[in-house]
Amino acid sequence: MNYTYLDCLALFGVGGAHPGGLQLTKEIVSEEKINEQTALLEIGCGTGQTAAYLAQQFGSTVSAVDSNNIMVDKARQRFSSLDLPIDIKLGDTENLPFPDANFDIVLSESVLAFTNVFSTIPELKRVLKPNGILLAVETVLEQPIPNAERDNIVDFYRFPQLLTEDEWLAAFKKAGFQRIDSTKYQASLEQIDEQHASDFSLSEYIDDELLEILETHEEITKQNIDKLGFRVFRCS
Amino acid sequence: MSVGQYRSLCQKYNGKAVEIRCHDGKIHRGIIQRVGRNRVYLQPLGRSRNLGGFGYGGYGYGGGWGFGWGVALGAIAGIALLSLFWI
Repeated sequence: MNYTYLDCLALFGVGGAHPGGLQLTKEIVSEEKINEQTALLEIGCGTGQTAAYLAQQFGSTVSAVDSNNIMVDKARQRFSSLDLPIDIKLGDTENLPFPDANFDIVLSESVLAFTNVFSTIPELKRVLKPNGILLAVETVLEQPIPNAERDNIVDFYRFPQLLTEDEWLAAFKKAGFQRIDSTKYQASLEQIDEQHASDFSLSEYIDDELLEILETHEEITKQNIDKLGFRVFRCS
Repeated sequence: MSVGQYRSLCQKYNGKAVEIRCHDGKIHRGIIQRVGRNRVYLQPLGRSRNLGGFGYGGYGYGGGWGFGWGVALGAIAGIALLSLFWI
């Protein structure tokens, strides 16, 4: 079996599998007005660490969707063990199982980059209310790179595209977002505490091939530290 | 710290990725899967030395059985949470 990076995240059940982890999530959402009345959607929720935090912290109506059934099972277990009324669905970000104009905020934490952004971003715009906000933490290409290096990254992560900041901004604009703020996220090597560390809900069997994928991921991120950057996009 | 203190620290870090340093100088990196009376069981995070897997003296107990491997709580000199980066 040839596992992908996303299979690896699913089987290791990595919670907070995005740049900045839960710490950055908290910083991003603290800038927004969120309360019990807010309808939130997290796409690519993974094991549900963020969705659980949002429901616990703000008491909002939280929906979550992921396209990987292992992730959905693990997220469902998390929500049920915490007794959180989160609506979790297996679904495709390019064709979301929600009606139009349904959410105040949609959150995407390193999810869009793994999808065809030219279908996904308009789909997110569709499910957002007219004054809704898209918050996205995404990978950007910081500088031109040789094709072979680019292919290496794109093939490993199975990115349908690898966009520069300007290309991201254009994609959001094209989908009808009018105001887009972009903030650079600088990965920090600060000591992490247990509240913010990635949590893992491991599948019973972890194939050795998955360990190789983790190693390749670590190599690629180290080798491309100046070429792959991260942004928090706030689109409204 | 005593064995009991390391046991409770491992329980607190259950499901997290850690680096465990032993008195004999060995370093184990993995996810804490469960904590027994005398051992903590880890899922290795890689096959290379860096990520605490094979090809390295620390690998032993139960690898490949789905239980990860066990590190004697009495052998532990220090534990730190790992800060992992994901895309």
